[in-house]
Amino acid sequence: MVFEITALTAFGLIIIALAAYGYKVSAKTAEDYMLAGRTIGVVVMFFFVLFAISSSWTFYGFPGMLYLHGPGYVFFIWGSVAGFAGLYMFLGPRLWALAKINRFLSPVEALAERYESKGLRMVLAISILAFIVPYVGIQPLGVGAGFQALTGLPTMWGAGYTVVLLVVLVLLGGMRIVAWVNIFLGVVYVTALLGSLIWIVQATLPGGLSEAAQRLMESEPALLSAPGPYGEFAPVLVAGTFVVGLLAFSWPHVVIGAMTARDKHLFKWFPLLVFVFGGLFFYVIPFVWGSLVAPAVLPPAELAQQAAAAGSTLEIEADRVVQTIITRTLPGWFGVFVLMGVIAAAVSTAAVQLMTSSIIVARDVVQGIFKPDASDRQITAWARWAVIAVVVLSLTVSILDTGLMALYLTDVSIPGFAQWAPALVGGLLWKRGTREAAIVATSVGVVYLALGLLITPGGSRVLLFDLHPVVPTLAVNVVVYIVVSFLTPRPSEEIQTQFFDEVDEFLRSES
Amino acid sequence: MREIMGHAAGRVYLAVLFLSVIALMAFIVTGGLETAAGEEPFLLFGWMTMSLVVGALFVVVWLIAYLAYFFFFWPYR
Repeated sequence: MVFEITALTAFGLIIIALAAYGYKVSAKTAEDYMLAGRTIGVVVMFFFVLFAISSSWTFYGFPGMLYLHGPGYVFFIWGSVAGFAGLYMFLGPRLWALAKINRFLSPVEALAERYESKGLRMVLAISILAFIVPYVGIQPLGVGAGFQALTGLPTMWGAGYTVVLLVVLVLLGGMRIVAWVNIFLGVVYVTALLGSLIWIVQATLPGGLSEAAQRLMESEPALLSAPGPYGEFAPVLVAGTFVVGLLAFSWPHVVIGAMTARDKHLFKWFPLLVFVFGGLFFYVIPFVWGSLVAPAVLPPAELAQQAAAAGSTLEIEADRVVQTIITRTLPGWFGVFVLMGVIAAAVSTAAVQLMTSSIIVARDVVQGIFKPDASDRQITAWARWAVIAVVVLSLTVSILDTGLMALYLTDVSIPGFAQWAPALVGGLLWKRGTREAAIVATSVGVVYLALGLLITPGGSRVLLFDLHPVVPTLAVNVVVYIVVSFLTPRPSEEIQTQFFDEVDEFLRSES
Repeated sequence: MREIMGHAAGRVYLAVLFLSVIALMAFIVTGGLETAAGEEPFLLFGWMTMSLVVGALFVVVWLIAYLAYFFFFWPYR
């Protein structure tokens, strides 16, 4: 117990020291605090983005789903890899150039100026905040559960520990240190995830991964292919899961990363890291953990018996099966290291989400709507206050209804993020896209999504045709955006020049 | 993306990516990931399941197309 607490305290102090150093070297401007002074290079950007999206879900939810339902769920990852690379190949250069030329500090601000609409700024800001804020609260609570399993202390101790780290990191360091600390956190996380996998395979599977597959072939062969033992991942669902992954390009906390780039060459190199390190290495680790090693070492039937004896459910225990196997098999000190890895994953994700939320509150809601003449110092101060407000709000919501949160993430947040995608893509790439189209399409998409999730007679989502919520809502959003754009006057020549011609020229000349 | 659409190499690049998505979807929807009754699940090298192999191939196709286009044809390179 003393060792665990000491190690976790030392880990926390390293993060706080990095944040304090970041505060010392920062330029104390809004641009520096919110976008790291637009100086992030390709390697830092890669760790920044990869670990912004690799939350504790990659340690719990993802392998847990594979453990129960076989390998079909991995198509969310294949879609996401293409989606993230697509963001940096297709949208990133233009968004970065546009923001750099015009000194925009948030993607919402860029779109509001592109469409010349404060109303759209409010619609986008509120809808993005509604979908991103609950994520922030879930991460500390997830760590709290792991903290409790390891130390025996109440969940709120671990959650409190994580919140303190988060708030100090974001308040002091801003985007620059959040990005840099993600390198440290990412290394800890990868080492814990990969190290535990290698160690467990060596300790329990003398024949390596082939032995794991062979054991499954004999005991539960349905776990080795779609649709899995329960028939869950039928072809249509796998295809839908892949499409949902492709929409990762619209996650706001990833989009904002593109605005912090140092120069356009980042967009040439970044996809290489996404494909090689992300797609072919990093995400394969939890895949192998959840789909092969965990079910071979601790078969689902055995875990189901243990869950029933403990008054739990297989679904709950499957989510923490990796941690269970590590705790039972490896030395106690390694369990502490793995928990540090989980904390690293949670903090790296929540910090970026917290930064994104606070930027939108300060720059788009407070300054954009209520106080346009705010000074640089005032905006930065509001962003810091917003950090506190967002943390308190998100934790309160998460604590009040944790059951609802699980549903919120899978069925609300991802479809919710997708609702600004037509306005984002159209605004950056299509000269004909209009203000009216962006406002109407985004509003229709968000309202349709909300009604579709709320009106469920007999448990059936009739308005959504019982499809994944993103499918019908995004389809309607896209159609409305295109039709309304053609029915309304095209944007002015000034807007087309500022947002297209000048950007093209800048990207051609900038070196 | 506007710059990619603006020349032939870019359009070929986008076509390759688009076709790879279509091919992957077609493979999934036609049951390519499933195991026929009475047969053993597909395993490459004794442990790589079909979902892993197909997904990794998809990423490799995107990787090769990206390397060829962004390092030799991208207008802003």
